[in-house]
Amino acid sequence: MQKNMIPEAIAPADTAQDIGLVTEQERSEIVQFLYLEARLADESRYEEWETLLTDDMVYWIPLGNGDYDPQHRVSITYDNRRRLKNRIKQLMTGERYAQVPVSPMRRLLSNIEIYPNSDETRQVYCNFVLHEYRLQSTNELCTWAGQMQYKLQRVEGKLKISYKKVTLINSTGPVPSLAFIL
Amino acid sequence: MSSLVDAAHVAVHPELDTSMDYNSLIKRDRVHASLYTNPHVFEDEMQKIFYQGWVFVGHESEIPNAGDYICRMIGSEPIIMLRTKAGDIRVYSNRCTHRGNLIFNQEKGNAKVLTCNYHGWAFSLEGALIGMPYPKGFTKDRADFGLRSPANIDSYGGFVFVNFNPQGKLLKEHLGPAMNLIDRVNGLSPTGKINLNGGWVKQQFASNWKMLPENDTDGYHANFVHSSFLKAFRSQYDALKQSEEDRKSRVIDFGNGHIAIEPSFIYTQPFEWLGVEEERVSDYVALMNHAYGQEETRRRVIEGPPHAYIFPNLFLGEMNIAIFMPIAPGNSVQWHTPLLLEGAPASFNTRVIRQSEGAMGPSAFLLADDAVIAERTHIAAGGLSGWLELARGLDRESPYGTGLISHISDETSNRGFWQHYRAVMTGEN
Repeated sequence: MQKNMIPEAIAPADTAQDIGLVTEQERSEIVQFLYLEARLADESRYEEWETLLTDDMVYWIPLGNGDYDPQHRVSITYDNRRRLKNRIKQLMTGERYAQVPVSPMRRLLSNIEIYPNSDETRQVYCNFVLHEYRLQSTNELCTWAGQMQYKLQRVEGKLKISYKKVTLINSTGPVPSLAFIL
Repeated sequence: MSSLVDAAHVAVHPELDTSMDYNSLIKRDRVHASLYTNPHVFEDEMQKIFYQGWVFVGHESEIPNAGDYICRMIGSEPIIMLRTKAGDIRVYSNRCTHRGNLIFNQEKGNAKVLTCNYHGWAFSLEGALIGMPYPKGFTKDRADFGLRSPANIDSYGGFVFVNFNPQGKLLKEHLGPAMNLIDRVNGLSPTGKINLNGGWVKQQFASNWKMLPENDTDGYHANFVHSSFLKAFRSQYDALKQSEEDRKSRVIDFGNGHIAIEPSFIYTQPFEWLGVEEERVSDYVALMNHAYGQEETRRRVIEGPPHAYIFPNLFLGEMNIAIFMPIAPGNSVQWHTPLLLEGAPASFNTRVIRQSEGAMGPSAFLLADDAVIAERTHIAAGGLSGWLELARGLDRESPYGTGLISHISDETSNRGFWQHYRAVMTGEN
């Protein structure tokens, strides 16, 4: 059985004065990395997006804030790396009708906070607003908003995502088809 | 579970358009797609199906303790289901009897008293008006202002249903063979009870609510709508790749609008429906053996759960329980929760949760695509509209108990829904 992969969260109320900041250069590098990840996801470039992940990455879209154990309560999405791999494989068949054609999308990232963890990984919080044009069926412009929480680590010097938790502000209410990568 | 006949509350719409000729729109082998888009039909359905027939509300396990409540919709009627101090389950309209405000606007919680946030009127868990600010200004009899309840509340196997119609049939009459389906669900638990506290995921469909049962009990679409799933995942659905002659799964019309896909005809090994080998869940099997004996346990873990729709709004979706919520002619929401089993090991229920996420919900490997298909049908059902063809299997379906059974790709299940719907909407039923 998979173990619970949620890393220790740093409470956002803890300020940089307590934990410390990363260097300006590293911050710049991480922000650039987040924008790259966003652009690949926006453009539905799934295989390239997948190269940004560690081998044990967890991708979680909880109900509400996700202040529960996902082993005991259901989530919108809770993929370990293997299930996420199959999710991408399913999208790559070109027959995942919920994303045929792919939704034109652009997301904005803001309020980016970057904290160093004691184990050299980086904890990132940011807000996002994503506009999606639902070409598959309704042809409506749809807004998604919430917070991303990432854990980043270096693999052979390159930044990778080992954990991504996306809390939608409306996840406890009705959510339309979400077959793309948030 | 006793019926409540006091404070009978039957919704009557004085200006109802009764001119819909459902018999001309619903034939044995086709139905008219305007039934999905017509707002008069939607309002008529609220009256005749949701306010005059048995409708599923929630499960006993959701309100275990005194004062626990959940808020849901029955059609467009907001309701509260709660547990009283004496342990009874009550259902009330979520509407203050003073000026009609919503009493609760949270989905669930616990309260000792139901207090309206508008003028502070307070109601007991038993629904009585027990207090208000500045009481000297109110001279009517408080006994006339208790919270309104549906005429009938009843439950089967822990599933709680209500009927606003005081003259309706008994719940057991409405359920009929569907009682066996609920027994089958409960029978997967070593204690005979399920637990629906795993959380509710809600998926919005820009389509009519009737598309949800149509899709969930349609066996014909899976090869196409879910072709991407078959290519990317190994699962019990691999049987879909067989030829028409070799397919063993069936669709069933149980009567009374209850319809199903029956996948178990293809299962020969335990737990094919959960995608796991028996050795990996031996702790669950041991508990089941202790409860039911080896032979009966083996039968149950091979057969698995049902994949069945109970008219009008409940879906026993294998290891999920789902509720269909009609919002507007072109807007509906499917709630679903994993079918957690009381008495089963935590690790077993975790498997159920993972499978639930994979099957149902907005990002599911299956339902995300079904929603888009439903939305496209809804667009095409507009404008000049057209007929939906439902003739598959008329020549090869056969009797099954008091209902009908046919090939997995046949429309026997869809016809079962529509004929009961027609009977309800024309008043025959």
